Amino acid sequence: MDNLARQKIIQDLLPQKFGTRGIIWVVILLVFCIAGIVAYIHQLSKGLVITAMGDYVSWGIYISNFVFFVAISLVGSLITAILRLADVSWSTPLTRIAEIIAVSAITLAAIIIVVDMGRPERFYNLFIHGRLQSPIIWDVVVIITYFFVSLLLLYLPLLPDFTILLKPESRRAGSRPHFFYRFFGSFWKNTPEQIKISNRAIAILSVTIIPVAFAIHTVTSWLFATTYRPGWDSTNFGAYFISGAFLVGAGAVLVAMYAFRDAYKLENYITEDHFDKMGKVVIGLALLYLYFNINEYLVPAYKMEKAEEDHLMGLFIGRFARVFWFAIFSAMIVPIAILIFKKGRKPLPAFIAGCLVVVGSWFKRYIIVTPTMLHPFLPMYQSPEKFYHYFPSLEEWLIAGGSLAGMLLIITIFARILPIIPIQETINESEEHEKA
Amino acid sequence: MKKPSHITWLTIMMSGMFTLGLLAQEAKSDLNLGLGYVNDNDRLQYLKASAKTKINGKFQPVAGINLSFYLGTESPSNLLGKARTNSRGEAVAFIPAAAGEEWKKSEKHEFLAVSEPSDSFGTTKSSIEITRAKIKLDTAEGRKLVAALLELREGKWIPVKGVDLTFSVKRMGRNLGVGDSPTYTTDSTGTANADFKLAELPGDSSGNITLVARVEDNDTYGTVSSEKKVPWGSDTQYYDSDFDKRSLYARRGLTPLWLGFMAYSIGLAVWGVLIYLFFQIRKIKKLGTV
Repeated sequence: MDNLARQKIIQDLLPQKFGTRGIIWVVILLVFCIAGIVAYIHQLSKGLVITAMGDYVSWGIYISNFVFFVAISLVGSLITAILRLADVSWSTPLTRIAEIIAVSAITLAAIIIVVDMGRPERFYNLFIHGRLQSPIIWDVVVIITYFFVSLLLLYLPLLPDFTILLKPESRRAGSRPHFFYRFFGSFWKNTPEQIKISNRAIAILSVTIIPVAFAIHTVTSWLFATTYRPGWDSTNFGAYFISGAFLVGAGAVLVAMYAFRDAYKLENYITEDHFDKMGKVVIGLALLYLYFNINEYLVPAYKMEKAEEDHLMGLFIGRFARVFWFAIFSAMIVPIAILIFKKGRKPLPAFIAGCLVVVGSWFKRYIIVTPTMLHPFLPMYQSPEKFYHYFPSLEEWLIAGGSLAGMLLIITIFARILPIIPIQETINESEEHEKA
Repeated sequence: MKKPSHITWLTIMMSGMFTLGLLAQEAKSDLNLGLGYVNDNDRLQYLKASAKTKINGKFQPVAGINLSFYLGTESPSNLLGKARTNSRGEAVAFIPAAAGEEWKKSEKHEFLAVSEPSDSFGTTKSSIEITRAKIKLDTAEGRKLVAALLELREGKWIPVKGVDLTFSVKRMGRNLGVGDSPTYTTDSTGTANADFKLAELPGDSSGNITLVARVEDNDTYGTVSSEKKVPWGSDTQYYDSDFDKRSLYARRGLTPLWLGFMAYSIGLAVWGVLIYLFFQIRKIKKLGTV
């Protein structure tokens, strides 16, 4: 590979300054984040009484949001680890996007769970007095672990890129936080020994992250499945959650691919072929998740036990029907219908399908969490009228919206300071491609 | 017509204001204060007061009333104790050992309960006079209970005739009557007896049950009771409780060993890998800085 081609790849993939669209995007995200922080300060001062949660619905959109964040974070293990181990070379330009989404989502998952606490200053008691028998403790441990694994999996492949970012010719290309690159990557000299250790570490991480990722979402599903309630009393919940998590993660990657491709003009690196292949992955995952959904709803509906009946009829034709069917169609059926056609796997339709998957998946988490809380086995009586319903309060919407904006803001900041497509790996692959 | 003078106007105004003032003042409700004396098994003696008031035509308990209990007249030297009524409107004051000397001086005693005035109620007093009495409870052949009620008269314990008492067995909740009749009346010897008709009543691990003879809320003696433990019940073998055993639902520190082993093994394995990788990064750093 000649130096010119090499330089072109470097210049194409270097982090870029925000344009007008980028600045507007960041301002919008900041506004949402600030609104969320203000609402949270209000919640801290007044307590959870300002939310619409009560005796029955004690898990509202905060927990739905938490499950959503945990789910979307699994994409790191899917793209980076599973596809890497399967030696799927086309996924290389997508690995960093997937890892950035994973780190951002798992960070917000950890934050939003604290938001759901009435007395967050007592959080440390969970560590001091936690029972090892409780799935909540397992979730705390596994979230922390997954955060570090994801961070390492983002960091290690970045090492060669830091060296490129610190080169004088890269420096001239635009303002970037060089102190950050120096601190984290100035020691990378691209020596064979360093490359060998790094490759081995990435391989170990790729293997490690898969059970940890499966554990994080299985344990999250057990928070529900170990509770004896209509809609949650299932032995299938772990697999059901993981398949849904891979789907939403893959959908998010489709969205991010289109956004970064469009914003950074990466058409030569994130090609239509990538959308085609990623679209096929999403179809497969949507079909898998649809299969688990049919299992989760059809089997109890066939038996229609009394307690399950109220819950299921509420979902199918009752007060949650609109949200339920929107989630099913938006997250699975419509994306399949779009992506099944070759034209549907072009960048724009694939982007639309990805957006539908992500939005539908958020509502799917809401449908998993809230309707069940309104259908306990013991009858609900002698409670205030508002306890029989749940519609999030303004503060809950603002905090949930702020957390989603927070995740997007972290992704945006990462994209501003880090190469969104691995530079060194792209050069290496181009060289190998030329040799072949 | 003659116009009213200034003094007339002033009088009318002041009368009006006075009437308004009276109306504005919230009338205090009547507090109904009951007082009882209890001699529990001739060991524990206490006074039990109950505070009630009429709300919507029904007597309702009044919580939060501060009461002072006296032996005899209302004076600081006679104060037995203070208590506050609970949600059931009840307050209890135990007769302290310090009142022992005064107690022994007489066969009859008067107790007084005085409530502190509050926003809703004025001061209310209630008194009770009791004669010192005790019950001697014994058993006779053929599973019979024999109880003698004795009162203190001129320094001697004299049997009392014609007083109703109950015979029962102590249970977890309320006591369980031993025979067909709810009450038994003492005869000329001050004695009442009852047949124990309960079969296979669960007792403790040795089959012991506790019999109780009790005079309830008597006008002269208050409430007097006596207890006796007898081996008339069936042995009860309690199953071992799982409370202090390792289980999934046990408290912290009683994690099942298999779970602890699995959880710590997985945690150590994963974090072992992460720590190893941190050292690998250090190694990469060293190689680059040498």
